[in-house]
Amino acid sequence: MTGQPNGQSGRLWISWLLVAALLGYGVVQTVITAAKLFTG
Amino acid sequence: MSLMSALDHQHTVAPPGYSRWLIPPAALSVHLCIGQAYATSVYKNSLIAHFDASQTAIGVIFSIAIVMLGLSAALGGTWVESNGPRKAMFVSASFWGAGFLVGALGIATGQLWLVYLGYGFLGGIGLGIGYISPVSTLIKWFPDRPGLATGLAIMGFGGGAMLASPLSRQLLSLYDSGYDPANSASVASGGALVGLFVTLGVGYFAIMMFGVVNVRVPAPGWRPAGFDPGTVAAKPLVTTANVSAANAIRTRSFWLLWIVLFCNVTAGIGILEQASPMIQDFFRDGGTSSVTIAAAGGFVGLLSLFNMAGRFAWSSTSDIIGRRPIYMVYLGVGMVLYALLALVGSTATALFVLLACVILSFYGGGFATVPAYLRDLFGTYQVGAIHGRLLTAWSAAGIAGPLIINGFLDAQGRPGTLTASAYRPALFTMVGVLAIGFAANLLIRPVPDRFHEPARPADAPVPDATAPDAPLPDATDGKRSDTRNTAAATAAEATGTERSTTR
Repeated sequence: MTGQPNGQSGRLWISWLLVAALLGYGVVQTVITAAKLFTG
Repeated sequence: MSLMSALDHQHTVAPPGYSRWLIPPAALSVHLCIGQAYATSVYKNSLIAHFDASQTAIGVIFSIAIVMLGLSAALGGTWVESNGPRKAMFVSASFWGAGFLVGALGIATGQLWLVYLGYGFLGGIGLGIGYISPVSTLIKWFPDRPGLATGLAIMGFGGGAMLASPLSRQLLSLYDSGYDPANSASVASGGALVGLFVTLGVGYFAIMMFGVVNVRVPAPGWRPAGFDPGTVAAKPLVTTANVSAANAIRTRSFWLLWIVLFCNVTAGIGILEQASPMIQDFFRDGGTSSVTIAAAGGFVGLLSLFNMAGRFAWSSTSDIIGRRPIYMVYLGVGMVLYALLALVGSTATALFVLLACVILSFYGGGFATVPAYLRDLFGTYQVGAIHGRLLTAWSAAGIAGPLIINGFLDAQGRPGTLTASAYRPALFTMVGVLAIGFAANLLIRPVPDRFHEPARPADAPVPDATAPDAPLPDATDGKRSDTRNTAAATAAEATGTERSTTR
């Protein structure tokens, strides 16, 4: 993400990291729950 | 510049070089927040205990929110188009955040009607406006990959529920030490519920404002470098003309697509509604199920993952194989899968899980692909408003799906005593519902010329060529493309954009 005008590269990183963190938290927690299908 | 002025459509036009890859996370930040609507069951028992109310009385909160979602999306779509995504996202964030805060006030004062007003009415408006707010903008930024772009955003709605469920449990246990987040029957105190609602309201508002700050509309005539609209228009059912929302609902294709979405959602909800008891009933022998309650909860989690993944994967696939073929897969293969579920689903748990997961991925895919289908049929002019009107199919399916499955199951016996055979009539009915949707999809035709907006001459300025487009976030694809593309397509795109700025 280099070469973006007006400091966009930082904004791109922060934007995608934010949504990845939110989505990642949800996915990991759901995978933990889903694992009970095979262990429960 | 005042706040409201800064939110206006004309102040939201992207400067040259603005990366279009900032738009999907802006859209996701809204959809991840409003997706919380599907996680209300986490604190339902706590609300019942706090208000000493019935299941129905608390369930009405969610029902009001969903009704308001459909109404605000249908009625507010044209407003969203004319005011632009930034103002729409701000309004959505304000209603959604205020809804939680008013709801918290209702919980704190023991006034259930305030929760209806807050989370139900105000929050529901935030849901509807927020759901459609980024769709039109994404389609205009990604004319080459509309399915991928809208799939990303609408995947966020599915992901929002997956985020909100564990987060709400952990927050409730933080505010009430007596609450057990691992026990779904655990009840949190009223104070913990107030803390949860205030935290979610403030937190969601802040995250959604991230989208407000980053979202931009492309300049008139902009298109990705290297993109030739002629290649898209050459595909079946894809138009470069534009149809207004008012005209769209007068076309046969709109209502056929309404039926397609209605049938796809009705069938999917049939499984979603009953997921947990269904897997236990399918493997019940002599009154006892071989599937534990914990395993059934895991099954619901797995369905959520496939529902979310299907939104992105299938919608992206539709950019390659086309919108009508992908719905033929959702509906046609879905019919086969439902029939298999009814006939052989009870033979092995793994088979049952596999069939249900693929069906739910089609359910999610149907939601995510429909904005791109609308773009193909009606152009980009008022696609967000048309999408809002189409979402009434979702509201209708939300009523029809549970009615069908519960109606059949009630006739078969009491909960906890049912077996796989009790589900067969309902599942075969869903096969019929999908068959209707399949036929409706086949009947969709290009919109007749008389519904098209009048084309303008190709007088819109198109900037000079710059660096080539690339699919990754570090690409310089916010730059403007060259003028070698077809004049007719340029006129259509420019007309749509300009009109939306002046209404």
